[in-house]
Amino acid sequence: MEIKYGLMSCDSHGQLGRDAFTSRMSAQRWGELIPQVVEVEEEGERVHRWSVNGKVLPGSVVNCPALMHDRRYYPKRWEEVPSMAYVPAERLKALDDDHVDAEVLFPNTPVQGGSFPIPDPELELACVQAYNDAMAEYAHTSQRYIPLALIPYLSPMETITAEVERSVKNGHGGILMVAAPEKIKGAKPVTDRSWDRLWATCQELGVPINWHASSGVGIGLPRWKGYDEREAHTASTGHNYMGPCQVLPALLFTGVFDRHPRLNWVLAETGAGWLPHLLERCDHEWERLHLWTEGISTRPSEVFRRQVYVDFWFERSGMELRHIIGADRIMWESDLPHITTTYPDSWEYVERSVQGLPQEDREKLLFRNMMRLYHLN
Amino acid sequence: MRLVSVCDHVVEPPDVWTSRLSPDRWGDRIPHVEGGRWLVDGRELPLPSAGALLPDRAAKPQRWEDVPAAAWSPAERLKAMDADGVDCSVLYPGIAGIGGETFGRIEDAGLELACVRAYNDWLIDEWAAASARFIPQCIVPLWPAEAAAAEIERAVGRGHRGVIYPAIPMELREVPHVNEGAYDPIWAACERLNVPLCIRAGSASSIKVPQPEGMSPAVAAAFGSISGSTSMICVLSNLLVSGILERFPKLNVVLAGSGLGWGAYAWEYVDQQFTANGLLGPGHEHLPSELMRRQVYLTGWYGRAGIAGRRFVSPNNILWSTNFPLATSSWPSTRETIDLAFAGVPDTERDQMLWGNAARLYRL
Repeated sequence: MEIKYGLMSCDSHGQLGRDAFTSRMSAQRWGELIPQVVEVEEEGERVHRWSVNGKVLPGSVVNCPALMHDRRYYPKRWEEVPSMAYVPAERLKALDDDHVDAEVLFPNTPVQGGSFPIPDPELELACVQAYNDAMAEYAHTSQRYIPLALIPYLSPMETITAEVERSVKNGHGGILMVAAPEKIKGAKPVTDRSWDRLWATCQELGVPINWHASSGVGIGLPRWKGYDEREAHTASTGHNYMGPCQVLPALLFTGVFDRHPRLNWVLAETGAGWLPHLLERCDHEWERLHLWTEGISTRPSEVFRRQVYVDFWFERSGMELRHIIGADRIMWESDLPHITTTYPDSWEYVERSVQGLPQEDREKLLFRNMMRLYHLN
Repeated sequence: MRLVSVCDHVVEPPDVWTSRLSPDRWGDRIPHVEGGRWLVDGRELPLPSAGALLPDRAAKPQRWEDVPAAAWSPAERLKAMDADGVDCSVLYPGIAGIGGETFGRIEDAGLELACVRAYNDWLIDEWAAASARFIPQCIVPLWPAEAAAAEIERAVGRGHRGVIYPAIPMELREVPHVNEGAYDPIWAACERLNVPLCIRAGSASSIKVPQPEGMSPAVAAAFGSISGSTSMICVLSNLLVSGILERFPKLNVVLAGSGLGWGAYAWEYVDQQFTANGLLGPGHEHLPSELMRRQVYLTGWYGRAGIAGRRFVSPNNILWSTNFPLATSSWPSTRETIDLAFAGVPDTERDQMLWGNAARLYRL
């Protein structure tokens, strides 16, 4: 891959076209249960929403405020959505405008939190396959896109691993998982040994497991009715690294990484500056309680520096504390096209974050770590 | 080098409540020890942890006789502090809940208040009276706020120097969301009496992820301790947006047992989200980082990351502790831990974090 700008995003969001599912799933079999854009009445207006499993989802038809003229505006109708948001070839213009070489693509609307809220395993599988096929179009359009595959949580493990193998062959660069699968009725916690076959498959294929933001852990204070939308968003996203921050120790302390020492794990959109806390916190308990005598043979911070990645987009703290995190473990993200994105001024943010860093560390953080992890040559 | 450990725990002896509550009125509902466990209004609780004093730090005492004296005896505690180089120790409860949450689950307001008062009186009579090196902090009845404020007034009058309140009162029994203005009498009492409001990490279960199955007791202890401190992340982000700090600009909030190292990121991140959402303006006159710097304190006891990141949190907002006698405690090597954490830090800044900030908060 040609490095034109020297900046790669390990967390952006790729939107699918409105017919992504209807054109790939059997209308005869699934009918209106297929994910599709529908028109509904809202406060006297005809607006578009996604419908999944026959249920209309709350929120905008496409979460892309950064591509709108007013960055606080969420489109109400599909016609308002710029084609740059969902046509892979056109999105490349946004990358060039922002001087970004490549990006890892997490889902956008209607996939919320990395899974489909569908209790029927067959329908879930059909949606996941349609999603993975549709997102592969990004990879087929340009090697600057690295889409991540979803998994069918309710399928037998051999179906899950087969879907991962199929997707990776089709251009996906990793898989997206929720950190608390047990919240999906019928799925096991991420520390359950039944997942080992998936970890082994990903290790074998050389693709990372990716978490995103709060990763569906869903812990925090109950929402206060006194907050308006913007306050509620600030208070809740203000702690979205707390879920991964609590589940990562569960992985470290159940031996997942020692059983799969070449498996890589990415914590996207969690920032990096809190990592020194977690690493020292885990090491401290490991030392105090002599956990090497309890089967946790490797020091947690060593495991982290061997197998886990985090990212940054606005911060300075993780940069200044990178020697405690490990400069080989940090990547950059733009989060295009969500509200917190650095687009279209990514380099302004980047320069502020990495100011004063040696060239070697700078290149690692801005693109080399990502190239190594996702095998971009 | 002087050190105030701002977060240590007493272990209450079996007679704290039986000797202070009327058996005629409360009978078996009085907290008491029976067969190696506590019974509190019919609810069973294990003996509090004193892991730092046991050869196996993950072990839980099975009989009261097995609880080491430095956990419950003020005289023995002072010797343990001397051995570890601790000048003063700010006290949190044991069986009354590390964050003062145990009695908040009692539905009977009369019994709850009697239990709370007995603890507060006992701590003054047995610990504060034993040495000025102990800094007592009161617990309060959970609700209504007026009852809590009245007990704060009484307890501070008796010598308490801080107020311990549960992070998530709504998880203990049916009470309003902690952001509601109905809680204001509690925050107002703390502000008026100039005593810090202390929220102890780890005491609220609804903000911790469930423990995975199959962990040994030691691994489970480590896991629980880690998720406890990191659970303060959401308490802080809510506090900074809730308006409480704006309404009570002289209220000081200590996040005890929080750890320090995530503070640098929280410092930057809540501002980032606050600004992206355009919140600065009427109703939110200050950036979250300004409120944090003015009114919030984080607590360290291990590691160097929090001190390395003090440019963000500010040395003004950092406190130190030993977490005695929990398994995670730095005891008996607190001095070595501090030397590692504060290596290269100028003496004036170090003294501020180990002594000066706490001395100001607790008026030593």
